Amino acid sequence: MTKSIDTFKHLLLRWSGVLIFLGLWELAPRLEWIDPYFVPPLSTVLGSIGELFREGVLVSHLLISLWRGLLGLVAAIAIGIPAGILLGWRYPLAAEVLNPVLRVLSQVNPFSLLPIFVLFFGIGETAKIAVVGWVSLWPVVFYTITAVRTVEPVQIKSARAFGISETDLLVRVLLPASLPLILVGVRIGAGLTFYILVAAEMLGASAGLGWLVHNSAMNYQIPRIYAGATFIVLLGYLLNRGLMCAERTLFDWREAIPGLVRDRSHQDTKPWIAPRFAAAALAGLMALIVVAGSVEVYRANLQGGEVMPAGGHARHFGQPVGE
Amino acid sequence: MERHQLTLYKILAVGALLLLWEILPRLGVVDPLFIPPLSGVLSTMFELFASGELGKHTMVSLVRALSGLLAALLIGLPLGLLLGGWFPRIQTATEPLMELFAQANPVILAHIIIFFLGIGQTAKVFIIAWLCIWPITFSTIAGIRNVDPALVKAARSLGLGRFRLFLSVVLPSAAASIFTGLRLAAGYAYIMLIASEMMGASSGLGFLVVQSQESYNVTRIFAGASVITLLAVVTDQLLKLVEMRLAFREENGEDDYVRMRQLAQGALV
Repeated sequence: MTKSIDTFKHLLLRWSGVLIFLGLWELAPRLEWIDPYFVPPLSTVLGSIGELFREGVLVSHLLISLWRGLLGLVAAIAIGIPAGILLGWRYPLAAEVLNPVLRVLSQVNPFSLLPIFVLFFGIGETAKIAVVGWVSLWPVVFYTITAVRTVEPVQIKSARAFGISETDLLVRVLLPASLPLILVGVRIGAGLTFYILVAAEMLGASAGLGWLVHNSAMNYQIPRIYAGATFIVLLGYLLNRGLMCAERTLFDWREAIPGLVRDRSHQDTKPWIAPRFAAAALAGLMALIVVAGSVEVYRANLQGGEVMPAGGHARHFGQPVGE
Repeated sequence: MERHQLTLYKILAVGALLLLWEILPRLGVVDPLFIPPLSGVLSTMFELFASGELGKHTMVSLVRALSGLLAALLIGLPLGLLLGGWFPRIQTATEPLMELFAQANPVILAHIIIFFLGIGQTAKVFIIAWLCIWPITFSTIAGIRNVDPALVKAARSLGLGRFRLFLSVVLPSAAASIFTGLRLAAGYAYIMLIASEMMGASSGLGFLVVQSQESYNVTRIFAGASVITLLAVVTDQLLKLVEMRLAFREENGEDDYVRMRQLAQGALV
């Protein structure tokens, strides 16, 4: 009993900052400490989220954003993991030599790449997915290289001593051993992707969560800007937390790698769902997003083609007058 | 393999990439309209430089990025030191809030920020600073938390006062982590700088790229993008140099990137 009270106290302390912030957000505009026109109170913003939800706008833009992010991430994984394994395991010397090249490429700004990708793929979805994929490619590649390199040499040597074939070594030893760290790279890629994607949608798109916020701003629907932004913050937070939770469930067995993966053995938390089930559920969810997202994107682009003039989003706050 | 030999190969690899950039468009393997050869990009860069345009845009962007980064450092570092070192309970109470704030994409908030700060320089610096504060704060907190307790105890038993303890034990051991956060923040600063300049500016490298895009001047897009990349790489290398002088850390090639991301994100686990 005392334990649960302690946990409750800890939770209360932990979230007190958020609660105070939310309370201030509600009170400050109501008491006119700040102009409620520029900062609408929390209740108004929540009402606006509900309104967007009921109109079905929110779900459709959410699906489109998730679809873009997911496809970009899948592309990054499909290229990044094999490349990382090849470099980290087969050609470690090449990995060392190519390191500066990869590092410079990873510093290339995703937003300055956008116009270049548009040249290659047109203004459609492919350019956006390419930018998103580019952003998440680097964490995946670098983490995979490190993951493959930090596999316990004893494990590889003992597998070799049993006369394992090279493919079996890869599939049965190397991949399972490095997967936890690779997944950390994927999580970081996913977080970064979501960040960049939403920003890219504000810069030029005709659908998606970023566009929703941008469009609300263009129409001076201020509560809707806050609604969209709040929803995006919440989604990003949940995405990060969800992926962390998935890591913990799927790789409950993993050991701590000093400086890279935290030791969780002392936490002694049992996964609340079976890893296999979790993996299946995750895969199912992703498949659902891909299918539903494709439909939404198709619909949005059909509408967008009729309503939006081409290049209508090139300039956002208008051309500033003079220099 | 000897060290200087490896360095030579690394330089050769970069050279090979640049060479491919020159040769492939010239041979028509890739369309030179879409990827202009390196020499073309360089000569455009030189032209822009000679007309003073490139220097102006670069200066404007650099001032924005650095003042954003500096503001983030001035806020994030003391915040991290206070929360990590002196007020652990407040740190517990504010951690979820800061985590949520870190998720608040400043580009999404751009319209709201403009309500308050206007469309000018302040808004852009604010956008950059907002993004950069969080990696710095989080990695400072993580650095202070991970100080070896044995060191602190030893220093205490030698009779060090709180302030001296902080200055000569805690800060040096946290320095490596703080620099990691700073370098990550510098990377973010450039990403957001370009995004904010693309949203509405009349100068700066992001503006140069958008302007060239609108006039379909592909070579200039590449010139702008190259300068941006170069700036980001140079800033990162400079910070790395300072880091190695100040934080006494051995150069640790391949784990660098991984360590950086891990620290900033894993600090919250």
